[in-house]
Amino acid sequence: MPSPIALADVLARGDVWRGDALASLPAATIPSGYAELDAELPGGGWPRGNLTEILVDRSGVGELSLLLPALARLSAAGGWLALVAPPWLPHAPAWAAAGVAPERLVVVGAGRQVGWCVEQLLASGGFAGVLAWPEAGIDARALRRLQVAAEGRPVFACLWRPTAALRTPSPAPLRVALAGGDGDLSLRIVKRRGRPVSRPLALAVPRPLAFAGRNPRAVAGPAFSAAADRGLAAAPAA
Amino acid sequence: MAVADAAALAAGVRAGQKLSTALGLQPGLAVFERDAGREQQALDSLACWAGRFTPTISRQPPATLLLEIGGCRRLFGGTEAIVAAALAGCAEQAYAARWAAAPTPLAARWLARGGGGLAVDAAGLAAVLDALPCTVPGWPATIVDRLESFGLRRLGDLRQLPAAGLRRRLGHGPVDDLARAWGELPDPQAAFVFPESFAIDLELPARVEQAEALVFAGQRLFAALAGWLDGRQLLLRRCTLRLRHDDGPPTVLALNFAEPAADEGRFLRLLREHLGRLQLREPVEALRLQADELVERPGESGRLFAQAAAGEGAPACLERLRARLGEGAVQALGEAADHRPECATRGREAVFDLGRFLPSTAGTELASMGVGTTAFPAASGPSAACPDVVPPPSREDRAGPVAGGPASLAGAIGRHRPLWLLPVPQALAERGGSPHWHGPLRLLSRGERLESGWWDEGEGGAAGDLRRDYFIACNPQGQRAWIFRDAAGWFLHGLFA
Repeated sequence: MPSPIALADVLARGDVWRGDALASLPAATIPSGYAELDAELPGGGWPRGNLTEILVDRSGVGELSLLLPALARLSAAGGWLALVAPPWLPHAPAWAAAGVAPERLVVVGAGRQVGWCVEQLLASGGFAGVLAWPEAGIDARALRRLQVAAEGRPVFACLWRPTAALRTPSPAPLRVALAGGDGDLSLRIVKRRGRPVSRPLALAVPRPLAFAGRNPRAVAGPAFSAAADRGLAAAPAA
Repeated sequence: MAVADAAALAAGVRAGQKLSTALGLQPGLAVFERDAGREQQALDSLACWAGRFTPTISRQPPATLLLEIGGCRRLFGGTEAIVAAALAGCAEQAYAARWAAAPTPLAARWLARGGGGLAVDAAGLAAVLDALPCTVPGWPATIVDRLESFGLRRLGDLRQLPAAGLRRRLGHGPVDDLARAWGELPDPQAAFVFPESFAIDLELPARVEQAEALVFAGQRLFAALAGWLDGRQLLLRRCTLRLRHDDGPPTVLALNFAEPAADEGRFLRLLREHLGRLQLREPVEALRLQADELVERPGESGRLFAQAAAGEGAPACLERLRARLGEGAVQALGEAADHRPECATRGREAVFDLGRFLPSTAGTELASMGVGTTAFPAASGPSAACPDVVPPPSREDRAGPVAGGPASLAGAIGRHRPLWLLPVPQALAERGGSPHWHGPLRLLSRGERLESGWWDEGEGGAAGDLRRDYFIACNPQGQRAWIFRDAAGWFLHGLFA
């Protein structure tokens, strides 16, 4: 009688494909939501199972909005997302409005163990997206470990680093440098699989919507004086 | 002396010696008094552990455990596989075991006692039993002496004699025992009943001062727990490990599982993380493991092909992160119905949907258990407590699209909110009438008034009564910021990343 081990061995072979697995096989990339960017990214989107490095110095230029269409897609499919050691607190209403389910967005306050946490999250295979803000001094060996942990898993793994890291080599197969402009977000693919990209892309990422109003100006109306009065009145009581 | 270890045996210490003799042979001998109560506990714990192999277990004090494996041989892939797994489990828990497998319980006991280490089937049983010496069954000394005087040394010799004559000379006991061992008389066993609730103690043979060293002792407890969970078809959500010290209150370790589990390896991984962080105040002398929260195990179909495990999965991973980083460091986000930005985000426990496996009623119950929220470390420190009340309608939305229900309103507001919030608003310098943050900030929106929170003004750690005008602003580097102005001046509160 053939033992079940032998069958498992056969199924584990790389050249044996199972019919029921084909349907649920996740695509190797996630569309970024920007046609001109998809055209430049290998495979037509953000890669799964490989590290992506996003190099940006100043926050608030639309760097997260760039990823939001992809993250919303992952979240809508029921996937879990993790933010490891984010520089600020995520504001749940804004993430929810962007299509990311807050109850499936895990924030990990990793302290000085960002590398370890990211490795665990990637290796667990249970997360659809992991966004991490590693320490400035993370070395190539730690990055290599993360790349190995991500390989073969259907996870979008994204590391945020300062542009100073451009000078050091990295095992991440995709590196993207961002810079803010007055209008569009300027995106330069520093490294990708395939031929290098010569020119930077200017992407029109969605920017914050203002509440309807025509002339933006600070109104120093009676509200401020009232608040000041109340503050004075509250001070002795406190 | 009841039993001696290898080093003592080498020094000449034997079972049956007097203590003084043994100490004479080996002066530095470490002697422990035999404790029937703890032997009983150990046997109970092993019986629980054996629940992973078969539901039909019988304890034969002081030191025998009978497992009925006839029905589960196919599940495990044969007698050899069960025996190998059971012996490996015993070795892991540092128990020395002698085993035998036979078609009747009494034959199995006798074979184990007579040396053990063999599995026989019904055809080979008689031959093996025939060869056993008459001392093995443990009959009273008078009967053994009488058999000796008859010249009967093996059970086979006894079987050849007529039963009626033997009954007259030896009494009914030995003859009935023979018939049971050969399977001619039924031999029902009292089944071990898995206790209703699980709480088990373990006295440590020596004081333990290193938390890591407790992993080994914990292994025995968790092995018993996993077997008990299997026997009762339950899953564990929460358990407590109490470390008892010589004096002072016990140290309590609460182990929480994001997803109910019954896997011993997972228990131990979590235990290792917890013990790795633990600083023991005093040496530990005993452990107590108690299962606090249990869930019925949902029935699940097996797969046709063994599925290659693709990692441990999100719940187990989050558990380990939580164990290493602390409970508050790993949280999913939740929205709160509060207009104050500091209070609109709550940390909540990551809840994995078990409902898909369970009948609908149990599923909804679990879901409602899961939404218990804890305060997210917001602007006013780690314990920013905002009451879960819907604030009174305020004036801030005068320009907003207010059509639709509360959900659409929340969504509409969310689109005007930044993805990042600063933990504490950062005061901005004001030059020439406009705020500065890496250069002068240009206001892109009209002011949005947020005025809310009178109900927790003055409470410790609460955000309190706010009165702010928020603006979206842009600096020369293209950074979009969410700034506000209140009585104290300009502040940076968020980033439109």
